[in-house]
Amino acid sequence: MASLITCPHCGQRPKEEFTIKGDASLTRPAPDAGPDVWYDYVYLRSNPKGLHKEYWHHSSGCRRWLIVERDTVTHKVHSVTDAALTKLGGAA
Amino acid sequence: MPDFPTSRPVLAGKSARHGKGITLEALPEGHVLQVMGATTSADLRALLDSAGLTGSALRPAGYRQWYAVGDTPLDAQALQAIVTALPPGTYLSDQSHGRVRIRLSGTRATELLSKGTAVDLHDSAFSVGHTATTLFGHISVHLSRTGETEFELTVLRSFAEALYSELEELAA
Amino acid sequence: MSNHRLSTGGRIDRTRTIKFSFDGKALTGHPGDTLASALLANGIQLVGRSFKYHRPRGILTAGAAEPNALVTTGAGGRTEANTRATMIELHDGLIARSQNRWPSLAFDIGAANGLLSPFLSAGFYYKTFMWPAGFWEKVYEPLIRNAAGLGKATYEADPDAYEKCWAHCDLLVIGAGPAGLAAALTAGRAGARVLLADEGFALGGSLLTDGDATLTTILAELDALPNVQCLPRTTVIGWYDDNVFGAVERVQKHVALPDPHQPVERFWRIIAKQAILATGAEERPLVFGGNDIPGVMMASAMRSYLNRQAVAPGKRTVVFTTNDAGYRAAADLEAAGVDVAAIVDPRARSDAGWQGKAKVLANSCIVDAAGGKALRSVHIAGASGTQTIEADALAMSGGWSPIIHLACHRGAKPVWSERHAAFLAPERQEGLTIAGAASGHASTSACLGDGARKAAEALAAIGFARVEPTFLSADDTQAAATPFWYVKGSKGKAFVDYQNDVHLKDLGLAVREGYGDVELAKRYTTNGMATDQGKLSNINAIGILAEARGVSPAEVGTTTFRPFYTPVSFGALTGTSRAKHFQPARKSPLHEWAKKNGAVFVETGLWYRSAWFPRAGETTWRESVDREVLNIRKNAGLCDASTLGKIEIFGKDAATFLDRVYCNGFAKLPVGRARYGIMLREDGLIYDDGTTSRLSEDHFFMTTTTALAAGVLTHLEFCAQTLWPELEVHFASSTDQWAQMAIAGPKSRAILSEIVDEDISDAAFPFMSARTVSLFGGNLEGRLFRISFSGELAYELGVPAGYAESVADAIMQAGAKHDICAYGAEALGVLRIEKGHVTHAEINGTVTPGDLGFGRMVSTTKPDFIGKAMLTREGMQAADRPRLVGVKPINPETSFRTGSHILADGAAATLENDQGYVTSSCFSPNLGHTIGLALINNGPERLGEKVMIWNGLRNEFTEGVICSPVFIDPENEKLHA
Repeated sequence: MASLITCPHCGQRPKEEFTIKGDASLTRPAPDAGPDVWYDYVYLRSNPKGLHKEYWHHSSGCRRWLIVERDTVTHKVHSVTDAALTKLGGAA
Repeated sequence: MPDFPTSRPVLAGKSARHGKGITLEALPEGHVLQVMGATTSADLRALLDSAGLTGSALRPAGYRQWYAVGDTPLDAQALQAIVTALPPGTYLSDQSHGRVRIRLSGTRATELLSKGTAVDLHDSAFSVGHTATTLFGHISVHLSRTGETEFELTVLRSFAEALYSELEELAA
Repeated sequence: MSNHRLSTGGRIDRTRTIKFSFDGKALTGHPGDTLASALLANGIQLVGRSFKYHRPRGILTAGAAEPNALVTTGAGGRTEANTRATMIELHDGLIARSQNRWPSLAFDIGAANGLLSPFLSAGFYYKTFMWPAGFWEKVYEPLIRNAAGLGKATYEADPDAYEKCWAHCDLLVIGAGPAGLAAALTAGRAGARVLLADEGFALGGSLLTDGDATLTTILAELDALPNVQCLPRTTVIGWYDDNVFGAVERVQKHVALPDPHQPVERFWRIIAKQAILATGAEERPLVFGGNDIPGVMMASAMRSYLNRQAVAPGKRTVVFTTNDAGYRAAADLEAAGVDVAAIVDPRARSDAGWQGKAKVLANSCIVDAAGGKALRSVHIAGASGTQTIEADALAMSGGWSPIIHLACHRGAKPVWSERHAAFLAPERQEGLTIAGAASGHASTSACLGDGARKAAEALAAIGFARVEPTFLSADDTQAAATPFWYVKGSKGKAFVDYQNDVHLKDLGLAVREGYGDVELAKRYTTNGMATDQGKLSNINAIGILAEARGVSPAEVGTTTFRPFYTPVSFGALTGTSRAKHFQPARKSPLHEWAKKNGAVFVETGLWYRSAWFPRAGETTWRESVDREVLNIRKNAGLCDASTLGKIEIFGKDAATFLDRVYCNGFAKLPVGRARYGIMLREDGLIYDDGTTSRLSEDHFFMTTTTALAAGVLTHLEFCAQTLWPELEVHFASSTDQWAQMAIAGPKSRAILSEIVDEDISDAAFPFMSARTVSLFGGNLEGRLFRISFSGELAYELGVPAGYAESVADAIMQAGAKHDICAYGAEALGVLRIEKGHVTHAEINGTVTPGDLGFGRMVSTTKPDFIGKAMLTREGMQAADRPRLVGVKPINPETSFRTGSHILADGAAATLENDQGYVTSSCFSPNLGHTIGLALINNGPERLGEKVMIWNGLRNEFTEGVICSPVFIDPENEKLHA
């Protein structure tokens, strides 16, 4: 856990302003991807030691979904990016 | 049957409070327009000016979001004129009744605010014109520095009384 | 009682007298005193009784580590137990009481525990109270808790105010001794934003004791710097991720009657770019028999009382020391004219170059101290034999332990230093540097230099160019320290952990019985587990364990340091969030309207919702609710629906987006129409429901349930931003913008027609119409929806929130001739159960659309929507799933409760026979009996089946029958009227 997250839109804020959703490396499968792929997506989560990318929602701020990359051992936050802009290749 | 229904400000009756170094007052329920979309502050400013809203403040509220606020209520026609003038891909949600503005001023204003928000309000970090959407205690607010020792908090109407009461207590 | 105050000296204001009481006795002191120093000045050494053996205890330290002098202060709701007399700033009206004694401090029956001590050794509880198992809670624990323990908390409410705040700085300096002051001054002169926190009421640390003249100069300069904020009486209690620190400021703990407009304590969360830990070092007690007798004190504490408060605890003092500190204490005592009986030093020769009068006994140890409630004499053994010396005070020093707790709060491990004979923390961690005595420096000049240099370095790391250290680094040529863990051959109990009454033999026993690991020994002996967290005892315990195991202290290691550094009051952690500010009250725009109509409110999350509107003569809530329900089905009612979540959805792709988040179709919803929608979770189960209307091609208006208003918006944002960022769609919460009123009942159209300017006949405004309408002859715009939760002809009218009360008044006025009534959430609940409409009582996280009878709503043509893939799983389609039906009692005179379970007729009441449960129930005034909605295995195929409705908690059985969930107007004739 981190005490502070630097939101790319709002700056440094305390964790109380955010809500965590979980693993941000998952890709939503196609509807016909088959039950195994869907089970993995919906239910299976890894619990990595070290770097981990998570969705954090700046719920009490700009209400953007962010991708927070942090270290589960040292709790150091390595990067925070806007999820949508990241997926669109950084395009505004 | 009343021909003219009347609007009742949610903080009506709350007197302006003056604590030591603190003045707290509910601002008129004029207009609060939430604008979203692919535009810029400069374009929106120009749009507001051409709509005659030169007195309205335009405040950034995060990625591609703004609030245009002012003390005078807008009627349906005035609102529609702005909506029509918006560039494609830009949208407006009238929040004039959904959000309430509270002004906090005085030499102890930043000290009081630091009891609720983690935003650094030092002059070097949050100068006049700066805005932030943040938590004040348990309540989400949009905070703007409107002067050296003057701030505005915009809060959801349903939380306005709770926030005002908490500010009153901290200002005492 | 003798006066132990010296005639001159000290940092006290002798011109003012402070009145206080201890155990009911009126006493006096001066500003500048602590409770401890004032008690000592009044000749009071006996301050408390120990935790387990009830031994008489005095004052051991002059600071935060105090394990003995714990007292209860204040009265009524301000009663505070277990406060350290050494940390209480003396103030007028202070009431203090000793603890853990009965009937009195001097005569304590519990002291008999001392005689039982062979049975109270380490591991005693584990060995003795194992059998019979049931005895632990009922017999053993109450007895033990009665015999042992500390002060008692009050049952009265705390009348004082507390608050929290945030602070930001370039440099946080923790501790205002020489290193901290030098760091703050260096950073302050460089223009950095500096916070300097110290737990004492006066800044200066050891400089206050040493009487160093530089202190006044430094404090004056710091005071003049606008960028430096000094926080005395502030304990930094934790170091957290991202260099956030927690601190407690005791704003008004030093006044008897606090100003009600100011907090008594303030909890700080400090975001620091850099921090300097300059917390100094803790002097280590020596472990010998009777080292807990009142009169035995740390040498540094005795110096502090002598120099700061001009108090000499004893008339004749013996010094027992393994290092220079004892000699400094002896010198100060002699300078003050106090008799020093001897200096006992286990080393072969002292390095202090002692010039004083007292004789030095080298190669010697105090083996035992004698005395009961006060020190009488000490027994000394040395190379030249043994001797007994009479003394009423003993100053001891077993070396120094750097105070590194905070530096280890984020996982760093202390490292044993042979040279310092102490554990040190890593000197530089990201954002935190340790300076001064906390990093092993000894002399004042070395600490000043170290603090200044490290502040300059810390600022350089955050971009301050060329910061000049205010003091030059001094050589710190200290001799290597020799650890001295305990005196051999003591007859009496030699205490290691004073507060938990753990003595030398307990640790030996722990090792012999296989609990020599530091973490195990801690729990086996309870060493370090008291409220002082072993500040004085842990290092000695580690040394003793190491020696018993024949390894080095490095190998034993330390236990884990965790926040908080010192105890924190619940008040400080709570801040302003209590009583009416416990959580914010959320009020509907119709709150005042409901109030003046007599509503009874119910808390729903943060909202206050009107539950029912009692009228004169109605004595129970049921009477009011029955009347409201009957009147709505006969005439009309007005209900506040403002708390439902409302979300404006904009964008050219808004329709596409809604098609993907609802399981039913929305893309083709015409402008001006509303549709009931069901949102699934990705696992195929229902998440939320509501109606969504299309106000224009690229503008939809969604409603959610009250409970999930925030959750649904978050979900929509997640979908839009992370799953389909290519869609152009925007959301604005408009829950607070619109006051929403449900007007339901056969007369609702007639009533609304008087307010709505447009034609709202069934032909012009049929069921599921939704559009902006003109009201009051064009004076107001609103949004009108023809939707119904009650099953009656009904509308929902939205108006800008400020107009809520005025419009509701107008509707009530227009409806008066139609017998309109206000109704609340309870009547709404009855109406919807009668109609078989679901809420989150049914949408319970386990149901699919099919389970609730919405199976045919689920789109089969849409390529994708949230939950589509997982909804096709075999188990999600099984016929024997619990599915929605109605239940009613066979005998209408009987009733059942929500939550009751369904048993097949004649089946035994067992978990195995459970067929489902009643999700909602109420008394239906229209039918005259109880009705319920239930999720029952294979329910819709069992209509007409007789079942037993079983409430296992209350052992109630009601014969019932499964029926359609729609109890009223199954053909929807009223709805479409």
